[in-house]
Amino acid sequence: MTFFDEVQEMRARYPEGSRSAVLPALRLAQERHGWLSRRAIEETADALELTPAYCYSIATFYDMLHLEPVGKHTIEVCTNLPCALCGAQQVLEAFESELGVRAGETTPDGEITLRAVECLGGCGYATVVAVDDRYRQHVRAETVPEILEELDG
Amino acid sequence: MAEVHEVLLAGTDEHDLRRLDEYRAIGGYRGVEKARAMTSDALIEELQAANLRGRGGAGFPMGRKASLIDRKSPKPKYLVVNADESEPGAFKDREVMAKVPHRLIEGCLIAAHAIESTDVFIYIRGEYLTEYEILAAAVDEAREAGIFGDVTITVHRGAGAYICGEETALLESLEGKRGQPRPRPPFPPIQGLYAAPTQINNVCTIATVPMILEMGAAEFAKTGVPSSPGTAIFSVSGNVVRPGNYELDLGTPMRELIYEHAGGIAAGRELKAVIPGGSSVPALTPDQIDVPLDYDSLGAIGTFFGAASLIVVDDRCCMVQLALRSTKFYAHESCGKCTPCRVGTRWMVQILESIENGTATLADLELLDSVGDNILGKVLCALGEFAVYPVASYLDKWRDEFVAHIEHGGCPFEGSSSLDGIVAPSDQHAHTPAGQEALV
Amino acid sequence: MSTELVRVTIDERDVHVPKGTGIVETALAAGVEIPVFCYEPRLGAPVGACRMCLVEVEGMPKLQTACTLTAQDGMVVKTARTSEKSAAGQKGTLEFLLVNHPLDCPVCDKGGECPLQDLTFRYGPGNTRMSYDKLTFEKPIPISPTIALDRERCILCYRCTRFSESVSEDLQLIAANRGALSVITTFEDLPYTGAFTGNVTELCPVGALLPTQYRFEGRPWEIVDVPTVCGLCPVGCNVNATVREGNVKRILSRNHPEIDEGWICDKGRFAFTHLRAEDRLAQPLQRVRRRGLEAISWEQALDEAERLLRAARGRIVTVLSGSETVEQAYALAKLLRVGLDSHQATLPEEISGGLDAYRLPLSAIRDADAVVVLGDVPVVERAPVVDLWVKAARRNGARILDDAGDPALAEAERVVLVWSGPGGRGGATVAQLAEKLGLAGREGCGAFYLPETPNGRGVADAWAACCDEEGAELESIGLLVVSGDEAAADENVRALAEQADATIVTSMFGGLSAGWADLVLPGTSYLERDGTFVNLEGRLQRLRRTVEPPCPDELEWIADLAARFGVDVAPYAAAVFAEVSDRVYGGLTFGEVGERAPLRGYPEAQEHVSRAALPATEPKARRGEIRLVAYKPLFSGAAVERVAELQFQRPQPELELSADDARRRKIATGDLVTVGSNGSAITLPARVNRRLRAGVARVAIEHANGLGGIVEIEKVAEEVTA
Repeated sequence: MTFFDEVQEMRARYPEGSRSAVLPALRLAQERHGWLSRRAIEETADALELTPAYCYSIATFYDMLHLEPVGKHTIEVCTNLPCALCGAQQVLEAFESELGVRAGETTPDGEITLRAVECLGGCGYATVVAVDDRYRQHVRAETVPEILEELDG
Repeated sequence: MAEVHEVLLAGTDEHDLRRLDEYRAIGGYRGVEKARAMTSDALIEELQAANLRGRGGAGFPMGRKASLIDRKSPKPKYLVVNADESEPGAFKDREVMAKVPHRLIEGCLIAAHAIESTDVFIYIRGEYLTEYEILAAAVDEAREAGIFGDVTITVHRGAGAYICGEETALLESLEGKRGQPRPRPPFPPIQGLYAAPTQINNVCTIATVPMILEMGAAEFAKTGVPSSPGTAIFSVSGNVVRPGNYELDLGTPMRELIYEHAGGIAAGRELKAVIPGGSSVPALTPDQIDVPLDYDSLGAIGTFFGAASLIVVDDRCCMVQLALRSTKFYAHESCGKCTPCRVGTRWMVQILESIENGTATLADLELLDSVGDNILGKVLCALGEFAVYPVASYLDKWRDEFVAHIEHGGCPFEGSSSLDGIVAPSDQHAHTPAGQEALV
Repeated sequence: MSTELVRVTIDERDVHVPKGTGIVETALAAGVEIPVFCYEPRLGAPVGACRMCLVEVEGMPKLQTACTLTAQDGMVVKTARTSEKSAAGQKGTLEFLLVNHPLDCPVCDKGGECPLQDLTFRYGPGNTRMSYDKLTFEKPIPISPTIALDRERCILCYRCTRFSESVSEDLQLIAANRGALSVITTFEDLPYTGAFTGNVTELCPVGALLPTQYRFEGRPWEIVDVPTVCGLCPVGCNVNATVREGNVKRILSRNHPEIDEGWICDKGRFAFTHLRAEDRLAQPLQRVRRRGLEAISWEQALDEAERLLRAARGRIVTVLSGSETVEQAYALAKLLRVGLDSHQATLPEEISGGLDAYRLPLSAIRDADAVVVLGDVPVVERAPVVDLWVKAARRNGARILDDAGDPALAEAERVVLVWSGPGGRGGATVAQLAEKLGLAGREGCGAFYLPETPNGRGVADAWAACCDEEGAELESIGLLVVSGDEAAADENVRALAEQADATIVTSMFGGLSAGWADLVLPGTSYLERDGTFVNLEGRLQRLRRTVEPPCPDELEWIADLAARFGVDVAPYAAAVFAEVSDRVYGGLTFGEVGERAPLRGYPEAQEHVSRAALPATEPKARRGEIRLVAYKPLFSGAAVERVAELQFQRPQPELELSADDARRRKIATGDLVTVGSNGSAITLPARVNRRLRAGVARVAIEHANGLGGIVEIEKVAEEVTA
């Protein structure tokens, strides 16, 4: 199905004239383009009969929508209080040293983006790391190489 | 240990309640039939009699909320489930959706019948991908089984913004706008989603409703404590031996939860603080934990039941670092709409940073207090206050630590704090549009 | 709002207001001012964002924003004047607003007329407790050639973005990011484009959005605002011209709630620099064989004009622009008709008095249940502010229809018709429709015709009122008198000049008359004239001379010339108006026209206005055929062409197609198409417009290459992707 048609299906789930499909449509655009490039936003706006400016305004409000290119994989380490109390900083540092990048950066080969993120809702299973949006729980600095090996494989 | 009634998670240990047949096998969806045999008036009366208080944080009785819906409005009536669980420390809604999505769906169908709604939206936080998939599959399965009648349930994913857990911000986000809170009045029961009457409830609130139908309101009201019937899932995190979710009667003593269910403080450390409702509420000192876990009892000692989520902090933690990390979160999540929150939370971060790195003076402690005061009670929604409540309590109860930072010219924990060097994702949301260069 | 009165106590003063009145307004009624930044009722529902208006309300534990509260009976409100809590809240808010503000008032164009500065002066702290780094941004960013944005001064009241979202509905100026890092922006490097963008510079309560034209041009104590009426389109928005040392520096809105509600278009706001265009004429010009036009003195020019007028022996044709004041048109008519028995005149469009029975203020559109927009030219291109009223009607729940036969009209109580486009016969067509629908005398019902000229009706009235005689049809033209820039820019007029023995042109710009005029008399702008205009509602409004023109104004030299033919014309607008008024406007005096003119009936006017004949049927497109409408864009014309910073607003070369017609021809937005008729063709990129009805295609006239009527449209190439 074309992007345009898929967005029309999304729109049909909400009352006519509403803009409710904007988040699902932006997410779909991001899946197709990897990130919300200018072109991706313009396509979304066209399919929603909104302006690119409006879609951009929405996209910049939400953490999960990327306005800059990201790696093929994303690793997101929760560093909010419950995880932080249980060693999230050590986990983050382990990723940083294994990958050779700082939080917020992408590896030079464009493979992996490492981010520190706010609470992921897995506080009882600290430290929580989202690898390509799938949660890994009870992550410790020692288990970081394991996770990266899985990604490589 | 008190007797444990399981309501929300009942049966999840023995059965795979993600499956419709298994949920039905334990009596699932019988509540819908009962409810549909009642008039909406009678159903609302029943819900009011149950005195089920909202589990989202504010504790407003769910049945009262339903009674406020303008059912005579010519507009459609909407039921919106707030599954945007984002409060640091809370992970209970996630477990309900992952383990027993049908209980939430059944609750939706009952609550929708009460307010004569045929349109239900479940707004689930964007990060909960696995839970979304489980919930969406359960919705499909139940719909195909013909359980919905003329009701439509749409699962709508958020995209990463804490503020969307605030009910009017959630509605804005669901309408495809920036998730910024609306002024009230008008209140959602009169003018909510798409300007139509709207009931908004938390996942655990709605998922409790089938049990009310099963037990009958009168019986349900006898559980828990009189002012707060039923159970709650308590999320316990931080420095305990067995962190996790524990579904217990309301009124269970906090000490019992921490020291028995959760196994006490980990690694042989001492308890320093409990933040009992998620990171946004005032913290308690170790001598304050002999308190029943219910709305009123916690309110009486100056904190909140909140999201029933206890963050347990041991004695290694620097309270200034705790305050700083907490405030960075709320500053990062401030939606930017109202002035005190947008400006004040950033200012608080700056003051706390200077205390932590030793460049502050004692006057900065007064300033921190005063900035907090200028936020409290002056903001459009509670987020700004969520930044202030915990920090004000740290400043009040552990003032000596703040003073020590100033006198010591930096952090007296000298690298031994459990939060040392913690990175916050404050670099997000600074996107600069391309090609905009200044005039010369 | 209900009519029920309720009692509200504000700072111990009782006041009675209709239930539901906003508390900010209620307080004003009690003589108490509550300070606000984000509150602006014209932008829709209040948002409660800035928190400047915090008040204490009895029975409510927390401070409340006055802007989001409405008056209920028995409500007791304490503002910062009487409540310490409220004063503390207000003080705290103001401190927060200033925390990141650069406090660069001495170099800020807003300084001296800045609400933030004023409220800080009145309520603000005298010192700052902010000793940390302020937020900094690149600045100022030109968000378009006409508007500069300073993000450091911005207090994020969201007035501008709310305007873009819910008034102009262009959705181009938006907020990006979240929290403290929120910024106002457009998308990427795209300029804020649209008919109404400049309004955000007036809405902005700080120096964040400022017109580039006014940058470092004047301080508030050096300027004077002169109230007048915009003369660039038939709406006649009420404006102030900011004047410093004899120059217009900017144009501001001057809210007339029935006409413009304080919104003006970018042409009205930014085109004023045409006054200082490079080819602006100050001296008369005379054609000298082989050498072209040469400057001459006024005395020589009037001698030459007199000579040409006499030489024509009554064979004079006058072409009017419809942008003359009533007084100029009358004076010219008196000179030519009474003095020279020359009655032949043309206007660029037909004028009908047929609509006089269906007159309404423009604001009535907002309150309509159904608005029928007919005529196929975008309303915004003809009469921009009318488009805002139609949008307001839609937001209020009105049905916006494009067919006067729509069955929905039967259910609507208040019906308003709007004709925008060719075939309207000066309003006669829409008047007939209004009659057919039985709108006469029904409350809230009426009809509008959007003419092409700003004062066509006033000019026609004046020309007709001057003299009852009608001249015979001329066989040849001895002298062509071309009045005004629109007429001078018209190619048909130039063609007519070739048939004339001689041509006199009055024009502001040398570029318009070079090569074909024998005598050119410098013209003036609407900003330089005293006089009156009649707008599309039929409302008589007062123009004021905001600055001295670089030449004598038209009335002066017409009076001089008229005297040479024994005709008495006063060189003053007030005196000329008195004469016209006796014949057309029921003896109203010049002074009574008013700064904020009411919509009056003009009982005498109708007899002077030609009654329209039955409308000829439009060349209706048959099934599958497409009729091309080539329209005159808002951003076009002699004035706009002379304002460099408005060029980005001119329409792209593109063909607008309805979704239906595009689908049938497999055309998508961006595809190249040919448009042809009678052997000539143009190639343009297509744009699918879902609001356009099937069978109609649109193009700006400057890209139409003379095409119009029934056309063939074919795709020649797919969109070329970058």
